Amino acid sequence: MKKYLLKRIGFSIFSLIVVVIAVMLLVYSLIDRNVIFQMDDVWNKRSNNSRTYYEYTMYQKYGYLTFVDYTTYLSGKYSEKYGPKYTEQAEFATAKVAIQYEKSYLENPDVQEFISKYDGKDGYKIVYLTPMKYSNGKTKPGGDGYLLATREKSVFSRLWDYAKGLITVETKNDVQDERLTERYTRWEKDPYSGLFAHVGSGTTHKYLLYFNGRFPFIHQNRIHLHLGVSFTKYRGQEITDVITQPTGEMKYVRTQYPAYIGTDRYDETAIDFHEVTYNYGEPTEAQKELFTDNYTNISYQRKGLSMIENSFVIGVIATILAYMIGLPLGVLNARKKDKLPDKIGMWYIIFIMAVPSLAYIFMFAAIGTRLFGLPYAFANAKVPILAYILPIISMALPSIGGLMKWMRRYMIDQMNSDYVKFARAEGLSESEIFSKHISRNAVIPIIHGIPGSILGCLVGAIITERVYAVPGVGNLLTAAINGHDNAIIVACTVFYTTLSIISLILGDVLMAKWDPRISFESKAGR
Amino acid sequence: MNINENILVNENDLFTFIDHDSIESEKIIAPRYSYWRSVFRVFFKKKINWVLIGLFVFILVFSFIFPLICPYNAVENVLQATSFNLSPSAAQKYFNDGTILKWMFGTGPQGNSIFYGIWASARTSLLLAIICAAINMVVGIIIGAVWGYSKGLDQVMMVIYNIIANVPYILVITVLVYVIGSGFGSFIFALTITGWLGIAYFFRTQVLIIRDREYSLASRCLGTPTGRIVSKNILPFLTSVIVTLLATELPSYISMEVYLSYIGVGLSANIASLGRMIQEAQTTFLIYPWEFWPPVAIASIITIILYVLGQNLADATDPRTHM
Repeated sequence: MKKYLLKRIGFSIFSLIVVVIAVMLLVYSLIDRNVIFQMDDVWNKRSNNSRTYYEYTMYQKYGYLTFVDYTTYLSGKYSEKYGPKYTEQAEFATAKVAIQYEKSYLENPDVQEFISKYDGKDGYKIVYLTPMKYSNGKTKPGGDGYLLATREKSVFSRLWDYAKGLITVETKNDVQDERLTERYTRWEKDPYSGLFAHVGSGTTHKYLLYFNGRFPFIHQNRIHLHLGVSFTKYRGQEITDVITQPTGEMKYVRTQYPAYIGTDRYDETAIDFHEVTYNYGEPTEAQKELFTDNYTNISYQRKGLSMIENSFVIGVIATILAYMIGLPLGVLNARKKDKLPDKIGMWYIIFIMAVPSLAYIFMFAAIGTRLFGLPYAFANAKVPILAYILPIISMALPSIGGLMKWMRRYMIDQMNSDYVKFARAEGLSESEIFSKHISRNAVIPIIHGIPGSILGCLVGAIITERVYAVPGVGNLLTAAINGHDNAIIVACTVFYTTLSIISLILGDVLMAKWDPRISFESKAGR
Repeated sequence: MNINENILVNENDLFTFIDHDSIESEKIIAPRYSYWRSVFRVFFKKKINWVLIGLFVFILVFSFIFPLICPYNAVENVLQATSFNLSPSAAQKYFNDGTILKWMFGTGPQGNSIFYGIWASARTSLLLAIICAAINMVVGIIIGAVWGYSKGLDQVMMVIYNIIANVPYILVITVLVYVIGSGFGSFIFALTITGWLGIAYFFRTQVLIIRDREYSLASRCLGTPTGRIVSKNILPFLTSVIVTLLATELPSYISMEVYLSYIGVGLSANIASLGRMIQEAQTTFLIYPWEFWPPVAIASIITIILYVLGQNLADATDPRTHM
């Protein structure tokens, strides 16, 4: 079993890599990269060389290429030579202005050095944007010359960079700051929860592991998953943060600033003191007064759930409801085959299977809002908890149809087996045959799907979340595609693929645990 | 003794000796049975199938011929802002041009006729569903049959399948539509590029089950060529499986188009499609219900008819129902 699983996991990682490469190729090579400027105001405002230069900076930011600017190169070189006041040097000024003269720029020794250093090395290519001038010699707007060495990123280096930064672990040597006096990670008494917490100094986060009253009650800041940094949709934010950070209004609580712990001063604040991070800047007067150390970068507690929590809560409740209702109904339909309950069930299944899901979700929405007065849009709900009802119903009803269909099918298949006839001949009662013999065999394929349907809730439901404007993760991929946010597309691929792999493996394991006849050894050896 | 002899003589007179006929003895007398005739006999015995076929033919003819007679123009009233979002009765009053049919479902967000729109859109959806189902089914079944039959290919194909099946189907389609554009042709390409794989895998499993059955093994021992085994031993057994697949595949493409249009990666704006009509009307579906429900209804009617007809045909193709 272990050997089989290891082999399986190894293969899964291989296929995950292949999938990510395929998506990276699709997204970075096949799509016209100029689409990122479609809605860009900065690009529209700029013209001539300045626009081209801006394009290069954006390509670099979006991960298409890396480039070295001649001016940056000069700054580096001369600051090393002359210290921070290098800009006042005449040598630097001549070198910098040399590229503005199309005819003579190659004669400058710095330009020659730059070109010989980069041209053709490591895949670098020299790009010279010739200065654009009017006939009277004045430079056109944005027409300054630029000298760049650019290098296209290959899919493998992109993948390597991505894989390298995927998981980071905080250590006590992370913060590079001379002001920091001691470095440690240790267990301390947590003044906010009264329990123990793992606290670090020198780590980026102060609280590495802590407990509080918020779901899932145990929180950690030690291991971070970096799926990618959003470009357009959530400018510059880490995607894992986007989907896990709570949303909604700030939540004010009566608590104490670190400096007042142990005193009787309490303040109304929304600051989440468990989530403070190290501040490299000079502390302000207020920060000096309220905090005891340099961990003064703050974030706020919010009333709402995070995007992924919203999706997960709705999805899990809907899934549990679906299993609780769908499976017994499937059994009932199988027992009353060709009678009225079965016929009603069949028509319901046909309706769910055949009608586009969009159509019935809107139908549920119309019925729910018109007849029962339930809130429609998520944000407008007066009682927030009521807003969850319609999305849950809309997700549960189709799953009930699917589960009913399969449960009925598997039950009927089992009902014709020899062992059932034998059990009947032995004189067992019908209900005994159904509960002890048929259903135990019929649920085996159903069990295989359970991990998938629970983990699938983390992906969210695109249509349900759109229809009810639920702030969830379901729309992440489509929003990224519409906003040309390559990083989110890749992140979503990794996330979805990993979840589907995990759920398949878990499904197999669960199935083997339920049914001892299923063994992976013989499968692997065949 | 005499009596006995007399009887024996009489018996010999009564019976005539018939020689063993090796050709006659090979004949097996069975009732005349034609598979396809039995399929249609069972299929048409159900009254509901007649009704559904009639309805389907009506929709098919109407959606392919009606737009030719009365072409749909989405932007004919785009300059008259007062004609936007009119309810059926208001539209009749507003236009009052004698074309009762045209305005019987009111006007859309650009003063377009909803009634003409749904037929032009239904044609797109039906065409899309038929083409995609045809491509995916043919490719999927051929590859699935070969995949199931050849053990060497099975290992290669399983690796490919495990990799591609791990990518969510919706991701493949959205990325492809994003990459190659959203014309009718490229949309079909996006739906079929990996769509056949699921069918092929399903079909492979079915072929695997039957390939090693005893009768198949026996006929291989007797030296039946592979092509004949596939066409005579395996495929007839899978007819009902193919029809069942078709019954779920055909409507799924109509639903898929609606779904993709809704999330913003559907067909391009100049092609009338049910998905686009639903997507345009969905934000205001409580205010202007006449724009939303007709395309939803026609999509649902088509998919339900196709699904039920397919299921009933699949039942009829199962020889066990021919008794």
